Amino acid sequence: MRQYALPVALAALLALAGLAAVTLLRPAAPLTLAEESRALAAELRCPDCQALSVAESHTAAARAIRDEIDLLLAAGESPDAVRRHFTDSYGEWILLSPTAPIAWWMPVVALLIGVVGLMAWLLRGRRRAAEAGTSDASANVGDELQQDELRQRVRDELERLDA
Amino acid sequence: MRRSWIRFLIVPLLVLPLGWLLFTGLGRDPRVIPSPLVGKALPAFAGTTLTGEQFSTASLAGKPAIINFWASYCIPSCVDEHPFLLDLAARHAADLQLVGVLVNDSPDGARGFLARYGQISWPTMLNSDGQITIAYGVTGPPETFFVDAAGIVRARHVGPLTAAVLAEELPLIGITP
Repeated sequence: MRQYALPVALAALLALAGLAAVTLLRPAAPLTLAEESRALAAELRCPDCQALSVAESHTAAARAIRDEIDLLLAAGESPDAVRRHFTDSYGEWILLSPTAPIAWWMPVVALLIGVVGLMAWLLRGRRRAAEAGTSDASANVGDELQQDELRQRVRDELERLDA
Repeated sequence: MRRSWIRFLIVPLLVLPLGWLLFTGLGRDPRVIPSPLVGKALPAFAGTTLTGEQFSTASLAGKPAIINFWASYCIPSCVDEHPFLLDLAARHAADLQLVGVLVNDSPDGARGFLARYGQISWPTMLNSDGQITIAYGVTGPPETFFVDAAGIVRARHVGPLTAAVLAEELPLIGITP
């Protein structure tokens, strides 16, 4: 039974990878203008509210931005051009998700540094323990040699007395 | 020997950049959002003013301008800065153009504000569709843009205008405070 465990696990892993690849690479169905507009509104920060997107807010500013998105999309602008239209006047601040790649890579880099550091620390601890074990063993060997020497000396002394 | 040097270097290499990030980040005022418009040509606009006339930024050519976004509900900030705007318009009638832009406000509300706190001599855009607010990336009133004679935005101030703010920003557009 156990000999099948590895092939089954590998097959399951391959199946999962295939499923993920198909899901990720499958071309998405084209969005309607209304869906595209709503998706863009969800990416933009409402300028006069706290921590809400333009899609979620009911303020006049959010309404004006939603209307502007509709107008731009209806005029044939691409989603990227619409985003650029708003970042040109508000700056990157208007986007709820950062576009700078460093913002996405920093947590991964920090995690990697942490894992490498932890592994180095654990390996060092294990090596020290191994070194301590070796020195204990050599100490025991030394003790035995010393005792053999003492025994020999006692034996020699007894033989000398007998003689 | 070499390993101990590396160990001593790792701490400053990790701590110093983090400390620098925290120092520069925490020292910044989170309410001040840098405007991408500074250093660029002012976004042009045209439309109807509070008095029913037509106004276009094309008429600002060759003259420094102050574009002030305000609203009647913006209390006390817009009330506090109003005397500074009135004083500025009186002292620099010949060499500076002021333009007001309403932010999500009704014409009646704006007229009531002016009747109470002082009538103005400069045009105020109705901006009923909020297009000018979006074009200037305004987050809320009051906000003021300082534009030089060449039509380049030189500064943006978020919050009420004060004597100190005007003393700092006006020289950027060639006006002596």
